[in-house]
Amino acid sequence: MSNAATAASQPGHRAKPRPRRRELREVTLLIAIFAVVLGVGVLRPSFMSFSNIEFMILSSVVLGLAGISQTFVIITRGIDLSVSAVLGLSAMVFGLLSTTSSMPLWQALPLCLAMGAVLGSFNGFLVAWLKIPPIIATLGTYSLYGGLTFIYSNGLQVDQVSPNFAAFGNGNLIPGLPVPTPVLALAAVAAAAWFVLNHMKFGRNILAIGNNAAAAYNAGISVRRTLLAVYTISGALAAFSGLVFVAYTGSATATTGTGDHVELQSIAIALIGGTAIAGGRGNLAGTVIGSVFLSVVITALVFLQVPAIWYSAGEGLMILAAVTLGARRSSKA
Amino acid sequence: MSRTPGLLAATGIDKRFGANSVLRNVSLSLAPGEVHTLMGENGAGKSTLFRILAGIHQPDAGQINLDGAALDLRNPSAAYGHGIYLVPQEPALLKELSVAENMFLGMLPTRGWFPSRIDWKTIRGQAQDSLSALGLDVDVRDDAKHLSIAQQQLVECAKALLRGCRIILFDEPTSPLTGREVGILFAIMRRLRAQGCTLGFISHRMDEVSEISDRVSVLRDGAVTDEVDRGGFDRARLVRAMVGREVIFDRRRVRREAEGEPVLSVRGLAHAPVFSGVDFDVRPGEILGFSGLIGSGRTEIAEAVCGLREKSAGSVTLAGQDISTSSIGDIIEAGLVYVPEDRARHGVILPMSIRDNATAGQIGRLQGKSGILNRGREIAIATDTMRRYQVRARGIDQPVGQLSGGNQQKVVFGKWMSTNPKVAILDEPTRGVDVGAKDEIYRLIEELSAQGMAIVVISSELEELIVLCDRVIAIYGGKIAAELKGADVTAARVGAAFLGAEAH
Ligand SMILES: Nc1ncnc2c1ncn2[C@@H]1O[C@H](COP(=O)(O)OP(=O)(O)O)[C@@H](O)[C@H]1O
Ligand SMILES: [Mg+2]
Repeated sequence: MSNAATAASQPGHRAKPRPRRRELREVTLLIAIFAVVLGVGVLRPSFMSFSNIEFMILSSVVLGLAGISQTFVIITRGIDLSVSAVLGLSAMVFGLLSTTSSMPLWQALPLCLAMGAVLGSFNGFLVAWLKIPPIIATLGTYSLYGGLTFIYSNGLQVDQVSPNFAAFGNGNLIPGLPVPTPVLALAAVAAAAWFVLNHMKFGRNILAIGNNAAAAYNAGISVRRTLLAVYTISGALAAFSGLVFVAYTGSATATTGTGDHVELQSIAIALIGGTAIAGGRGNLAGTVIGSVFLSVVITALVFLQVPAIWYSAGEGLMILAAVTLGARRSSKA
Repeated sequence: MSRTPGLLAATGIDKRFGANSVLRNVSLSLAPGEVHTLMGENGAGKSTLFRILAGIHQPDAGQINLDGAALDLRNPSAAYGHGIYLVPQEPALLKELSVAENMFLGMLPTRGWFPSRIDWKTIRGQAQDSLSALGLDVDVRDDAKHLSIAQQQLVECAKALLRGCRIILFDEPTSPLTGREVGILFAIMRRLRAQGCTLGFISHRMDEVSEISDRVSVLRDGAVTDEVDRGGFDRARLVRAMVGREVIFDRRRVRREAEGEPVLSVRGLAHAPVFSGVDFDVRPGEILGFSGLIGSGRTEIAEAVCGLREKSAGSVTLAGQDISTSSIGDIIEAGLVYVPEDRARHGVILPMSIRDNATAGQIGRLQGKSGILNRGREIAIATDTMRRYQVRARGIDQPVGQLSGGNQQKVVFGKWMSTNPKVAILDEPTRGVDVGAKDEIYRLIEELSAQGMAIVVISSELEELIVLCDRVIAIYGGKIAAELKGADVTAARVGAAFLGAEAH
């Protein structure tokens, strides 16, 4: 009888370490990127030209920076819809300052980060102190910051930037190393973000809050201050991506960022990259590779001479496909 | 490590949530090195009292002293600082983080200057050591979501010890555990006590309480109604203190031999390897017990009978009609309902009101020709459910999630019984329900059977089967191992049968 009882009760089965599916996600994305590049390259050989590949990588930098800021916010179970508006405002402000008042880059850069931080901290205040759901708070500031761009630009637009801006956007920081400065900037930001998320208390607190904010609070983590910091960083990174954008394209309009729905693109990148929309789990490498994926897909639509009116719909379908496949895989694992 | 904590005394504690006065002038003291158990019906305020001691809630009045010194427990960290740790009712481990990180949550050690890095090596080493010390064999690098509830509770114990806490409060830890897991938890609790820790414990199960406690305090409606030391544990006395009236458990009527044609017949039901060769009949007015350990296949059999789960062979006949291949909707329509064990997942929709839940089973019948729901009928049904099943709530518009477990279960009953079934299968109808409400649920089941309904009660509680059932079928390893009726339905026989010791 004791025998039977033992057999029937569940043994405390040992939980084995599982293979990390995150790495799988990155590999899948890389394969998808190569498949698109090769496929489109066969049909349109110029797609694989050095200059086009450089273009795609450069345009993924702007997306990647916005995606990293979004990744941090999503890990906390939040969302930041205002990234595109902050990006646009920053591109407009610093594009105009570079030409009209010839502000040098070394002044523009800290000012830009500070402006983004202020805009982002307002989001953080709304979310963490006033307890407004992030999607509503940042929808409000999306309109607000987007509106500020119109007011500030007052009908003007940026169509060229000062040489030192252009050198930042298109040059190579390290002589002899043929890597564009923005790519180095993204690499530096991504590496710093990875370090923070995996090896610093602040990063672990972000993950803890995303898993269970009440439990994190009970463990003595300051939830409000951490959330404030996350939204502040998100604003600063979004503003930085606006600066990179205007530096390398040399142009900005009142609908830069919002017109391309960078807020939705950044969310899509984070999700494609393996960050959980329900929070508590993030994958920065996935976000960076996801931004390259999206940039490649968008460019491929152009090369395939898909009529321009189809871009938005095509991009949306690709995002849905990638996110659906990703979601299915992670629920199976 | 082996210092014994001082006397933890709460005096004159009041606590209100809005208009709801949850604790009134409650005093409780936990003596050094004792296991002190709180008993009381659901909603009596047990969890609230523990949460106040752990700094999660702040009392509206009263004070807490440790060794005579007044404590200011403004948040859980303050409580840790004084050595008090609560193992919560719902495990609160962070699912996507590693076990090791969970254990060090809020106190992750770092090394180096700026930027100071988290010292993962120390974290893993210490986490693994402290789990091994409790006899828990898991890899601390694994995500917490892969742990069973029992393992999560042990991780919580280890968390308490890592924080140097020597007063550990367990809020109803055994409800979700199997018998074996309870044994492991109790062994650890005994060891902690032997090392001088003070332990708080909450449970509804009388046998567990008398096994582990040194002292029992009973709460009723937010006030302490009795305090008993080991040796003075008397079941009737404790139950009276909890419920405020006599509850008679041996009021069992004569076990009847039901007559007439079976209303439900199951023949050769099988789905290898989960269950096979299952034959049984239930007659109108009969209460049939299904006993068996968790994992014996009893729930799977019930689900297969009700069309909720695949079967590879067998027939199910309900009132002469073959329903083996019918859809779930048709089976309910034909008069067979299954009331599942996990209320929150399958039984009721917690955020919705009593009215919405009570009428959910027959929403089709409430629709007029226009497709618009008949509000008057809805209110009538919900009000009737509340009255007939004695649901204690503010009104039919109160969300079910705010009710106690027993009252939730009554709403579930009301919902299914309002469809007037011929046969009802009730899976663990009193899981997580306190003694007073249990008694009421037993009365309900008997009333329904007296009206001619055939009822199958699935239960792992011996007492429940003996009090309630006319006949008991024991399931072991997916097969019917024994059938007991009449005078054979005794604790010894039923207990032996569901452990697989009684041959067919
Ligand atoms: N955070 C809360 N907000 C409002 N009411 C609560 C809260 N926690 C508990 N209650 C109420 O307090 C009463 C006692 O609950 P609880 O302490 O959980 O009881 P027990 O643990 O004895 O079952 C219940 O009526 C419950 O609805
Ligand atoms: Mg409780």
